[in-house]
Amino acid sequence: MSTTMSGQQSQQSGYGGVQIHSSTEINAAKISIENVDFFYGDNRALKSVNLNLPDRQVTGMIGPSGCGKSTLLRVLNRMYDLYPGQRATGAAMMDGQNIISPDTDLNTLRARIGMVFQKPTPFPMTIYDNIAFGVKLHEKLSKSQMDERVEWSLTRGALWTEVKDRLQTSAMGLSGGQQQRLCIARTIAVRPEVILLDEPTSALDPISTLKIEELIDELKHDFTIAIVTHNMQLAARCADQVAFFYLGEMVEVAPAAQLFTAPKEKRTQDYVTGRFG
Amino acid sequence: MSEQSEHLVKSFDQDLKRLTDMLIRMGGIVENQVALAAESIMDRNADAATKTVEEDVKVDALEREVEQYVIRMLALRQPMAADLRLVVAALKVTGDLERIGDYAANVAKRSIVLAQFPAPYSLGGLAHMVNLVQEQLKSIIDALGSSDSEKALEVWRSDRAVDDIYNTIFRELITYMMEDPRNITPCTHLLFIAKNLERIGDHTTNIAETIYYSVKGEVLPDVRPKGDTSAYAVVRPSE
Repeated sequence: MSTTMSGQQSQQSGYGGVQIHSSTEINAAKISIENVDFFYGDNRALKSVNLNLPDRQVTGMIGPSGCGKSTLLRVLNRMYDLYPGQRATGAAMMDGQNIISPDTDLNTLRARIGMVFQKPTPFPMTIYDNIAFGVKLHEKLSKSQMDERVEWSLTRGALWTEVKDRLQTSAMGLSGGQQQRLCIARTIAVRPEVILLDEPTSALDPISTLKIEELIDELKHDFTIAIVTHNMQLAARCADQVAFFYLGEMVEVAPAAQLFTAPKEKRTQDYVTGRFG
Repeated sequence: MSEQSEHLVKSFDQDLKRLTDMLIRMGGIVENQVALAAESIMDRNADAATKTVEEDVKVDALEREVEQYVIRMLALRQPMAADLRLVVAALKVTGDLERIGDYAANVAKRSIVLAQFPAPYSLGGLAHMVNLVQEQLKSIIDALGSSDSEKALEVWRSDRAVDDIYNTIFRELITYMMEDPRNITPCTHLLFIAKNLERIGDHTTNIAETIYYSVKGEVLPDVRPKGDTSAYAVVRPSE
């Protein structure tokens, strides 16, 4: 299945003026979600969702609370396995492997697909150990290799200069924004291929939010990113493509400039303009 | 726009309505200016001419008001999708309306000079052109008020007729000037008047394009029905 959604094709399918002149090229899919349904007991939280996460690009997911966007992230790293009564059907293919299939090894999967949550969740240990902890689970590294990995992760997480002189102090002493960047650095440390961000900035002040935004821009060169957010400006600026979810359905997916200037679906239009919530 | 459901924040709807109302008010004044300008040429009415120029102050003030309001809305509301298109459209339309007002005022000023000369020929062609331009302007302001993209498209298509009349007038006036150099002053003014009317038609077309984008979210094709060929016209005296 071709996953390219170039400006040219957009024009043919009746996309609006902005898109015609913008240069958004959507890459081939890293993860291809096909007909995914999700159930919390009898409650069907996702309804035949189809969506591609393009390789090394950012997919924004927006929609009112309870629309299923966070549920979809939970499906992608099998978070729901911890809870009885929750199940997913359909396929989420990554490099020919179905993430949802029971044969998938969860430890390997979670090393390949990292996740960052709304509230910063540093472990109650030193900054250094916060990074090293996850790495030790997957790899055997020497002390100097580990030092290198910690510096690399913290640098990529845009935190190194702020914490390099206090790596052995507790991570709990960092500010909220720093803690969140530490969590991102911790996720990067195991060198995943995909990063899932669930409302990563909603508990942060505007400046910390901008730093995360800058960080996402930087990280997308190497990682495939999916970000769930209620902050539409954040989605508009960070994401290459944005998907709008409503009541468990994926209503519309389009390049960000398209979705926020001339969405095709009335429900999308109503949501992004603040007409229902 | 108008057929949309309401915003959760009611004052946003009020802001958008106020913006549209300002544009319609501005459109009304400009429409009246063009009518007065037409009267000033056709009926040699100096009062109408003065009135046209005076109205320009109001138009300029409204343009600034709309601009400030748009900037305020962009900053405070951060509109998206159709709202964003409407707000940006307002900024463009206000500029076009202001230019139309200027052209009308210029026509009126020239009519005062023109009144000092006997008319070198019948103003029938010009009268026809004025009628067409006024009709289009009226239609486009209606389309603005009712967010009617079909009506806007109609206006966009009909600009060709104005261009055709302009070309005819252009050739005719040059012929008169060649016949008798005493015609040069009034004919030059008439030529500028015709050109101004043709420009009014073009700005009306711009507004049509803007309305279409605002309502539909799609741009009209780059090639628009343009027929002003006078830029390439050469009229040589017969040997």
